[in-house]
Amino acid sequence: MNKELIICDLHVSIDGSPILKGVNLDIKPGEVHALMGPNGSGKSTLSSVLMGHPAYEVTKGSITFGGEDLLDLAPEERARLGMFLAFQYPVAIPGVNVSKFLKSAADAIHPDGKVNATDFLKDLRANMAYLEMDAAFANRGLNEGFSGGEKKRMEILQMLTLKPHLAIMDETDSGLDIDALRVVSKGVNKLMDEPFSLLVITHYERILEYLKPKFLHILMDGRVVLSGGPELVKQLEEKGYDWVKEAAAKQQSAAV
Amino acid sequence: MSSTVMTPPQFLAGFDEAAFDACASGEASFICTRREKAFNDYGMIPNPTSRDEEYRRTDPMLFRMGRYARMPTIATGRLQKTRRWDEAFDVVVSITDHRLGLSEDLPAGVTVCSLNDAATSHPELMEGYFMGAASPEEGRKFLELNNAFWNAGLFIHVARGVVLEKGILIHYDVEAEHAALLPRLLVIGEEQSQFSIIEDYQSSHETPFLCCSAREFYAHAGAQVKLVTLQEWGPSVVHIAEDWARVDRDAMVDLVSLSLGGKTSKMTVGCTVCEPQANAYLGGLYFANDKQHFDQKTLQLHAAPDTFSKMLYKGAAKDKGYSVYQGIIQATHGSIGVDAYQTNNNLILDKGARADSLPGLIINADELACSHGATMGNLDPEQLHYLRTRGIDEVEARKILVLGFFEEVVQRVPHAPIQERLHDMIERKLGDTDE
Ligand SMILES: Nc1ncnc2c1ncn2[C@@H]1O[C@H](COP(=O)(O)OP(=O)(O)OP(=O)(O)O)[C@@H](O)[C@H]1O
Ligand SMILES: [Mg+2]
Repeated sequence: MNKELIICDLHVSIDGSPILKGVNLDIKPGEVHALMGPNGSGKSTLSSVLMGHPAYEVTKGSITFGGEDLLDLAPEERARLGMFLAFQYPVAIPGVNVSKFLKSAADAIHPDGKVNATDFLKDLRANMAYLEMDAAFANRGLNEGFSGGEKKRMEILQMLTLKPHLAIMDETDSGLDIDALRVVSKGVNKLMDEPFSLLVITHYERILEYLKPKFLHILMDGRVVLSGGPELVKQLEEKGYDWVKEAAAKQQSAAV
Repeated sequence: MSSTVMTPPQFLAGFDEAAFDACASGEASFICTRREKAFNDYGMIPNPTSRDEEYRRTDPMLFRMGRYARMPTIATGRLQKTRRWDEAFDVVVSITDHRLGLSEDLPAGVTVCSLNDAATSHPELMEGYFMGAASPEEGRKFLELNNAFWNAGLFIHVARGVVLEKGILIHYDVEAEHAALLPRLLVIGEEQSQFSIIEDYQSSHETPFLCCSAREFYAHAGAQVKLVTLQEWGPSVVHIAEDWARVDRDAMVDLVSLSLGGKTSKMTVGCTVCEPQANAYLGGLYFANDKQHFDQKTLQLHAAPDTFSKMLYKGAAKDKGYSVYQGIIQATHGSIGVDAYQTNNNLILDKGARADSLPGLIINADELACSHGATMGNLDPEQLHYLRTRGIDEVEARKILVLGFFEEVVQRVPHAPIQERLHDMIERKLGDTDE
């Protein structure tokens, strides 16, 4: 199964104002990519569009996943193709029980439309233990009264439950304490046992040390202005985004 | 000296002197006297019209009085049919058109009998409590109508310190067309007693009838009483209900009203927290779909310092459904340390659906922590999107969100199978379309 993600010249607007202005990105099965960029550069917009958020309008370009045109697909259809987004700001849904919700999601994703209830519970308990989550979370309302870090952990629990082919992690590391970051990264790495590709959006080097991306892209003002290897992050930490602009200009002139 | 102007008594169609004369026969003299008194009071209260504030959104014409004939008083008998889940309760009462069936062996300290039997066997209790719980500011026509005309009267008394693990189920199953059922319930929980009562209203499909109920609840010091009403009448039923509760020191009363069935419903729930540390919870769940019309009013009356009440009513309106919620918090002069909360949340699921929310406060207390809030709107698009990104399709996601919206009230219902039934009913209503 070739689950390659190809984003080609993607232009996206919200309420008529352009946010993404020609994004190109290619993630092959098994690859880990990191995406960095200043606040407001469009990283979350890109993840939202990848999952089909209805508020965003794609004005130009294409996204395909495993050869399928994603832009025609509803969010749930994308999820069933094996895509997953760990949200930067997960919503709380009071009254919706975590384990019931996860069961509905697992059923929906499963090709037969139903998972075995006993297996599901066994899996859930194991995943929660792996993420060092208190079992009591399974019976709470979804993200209801969860701390910032607990919400992020809940995103990763969902990811482990649904076992996607491609996951986008939008600043999952923000708000996680040092131990939580380790635990969450361990959880993500567990998925790497199977063919799994990952787009990690972050502002910090630390999570990249755990997840070891081979590729790093920098998004500025709605465009990927610089792409390279993981070594880019060191330079970025030292020199900041002004340096990126210069480097990007050089890369471009070299390309011409 | 002012002259007294005698206005002629006013009767609701079908409930006049002739109907009254026909209904009082062979009852305990105490009952007859009370009926007489109530009938007089009933006649003195003008017939409500849509010009009255209370009926502005629910025109009494909708009740179509005059279409229904009062059923003869339902005779007491042995409990006959046992349904699958009757085992789950300590006491079961089954009320049909013809019979008020009672469990044979009652737990120690528990009395469950007809009002007429109670008037003979427990005259002092009837004297002290019957028709005494309501504290309305003005005459209430339908309360007095029930006081005069009730035809299914039940008395429940739980003695001091008695704890019922499984509780009491009162199940209604009505089949008669164009009949008027007037259930009358008196519940007394003595000090430190603990029990729950579930009233479960069901009727055969499409049978039009009127249910005009009145219930009184007394919780004495330290008692913990839960009263759950599951209104799942057939789609042509008019349901009018008056509930009045009084809560003493350290007692806790839950009044949970679940309105799902019927065509038109007008419900009033009044609760007086009478002594310090008395605590009342008023929970409501209503879901008006098709052309259902639900009108509910709550009154939280604080008659003493250091009393608590919390009201949470959650409603959804779909298709051309319409719901009205009106709430009043009132504290008497000199009440300090009163905590009263009022929350009414509404989901409007369709363009043609409507919900009105009118929270109100009458504060006479010197020191009162009070909050009231109402929300109104459709499902949150961000929550909907979130669920869909997890593979859940839109229809299912909407269902999950609506169930989640109601869950806080559902959790107040004892007995998991009844919670499940509620979930099923809500799902069914979501699935129904009026097209
Ligand atoms: N509904 C909206 N209306 C107008 N502008 C919007 C809307 N949503 C997002 N934007 C704008 O789009 C731009 C990109 O936002 P986005 O959330 O994608 O940034 P980001 O790169 O994820 O930033 P951060 O690092 O702070 O998370 C921002 O300038 C933001 O203000
Ligand atoms: Mg962002």
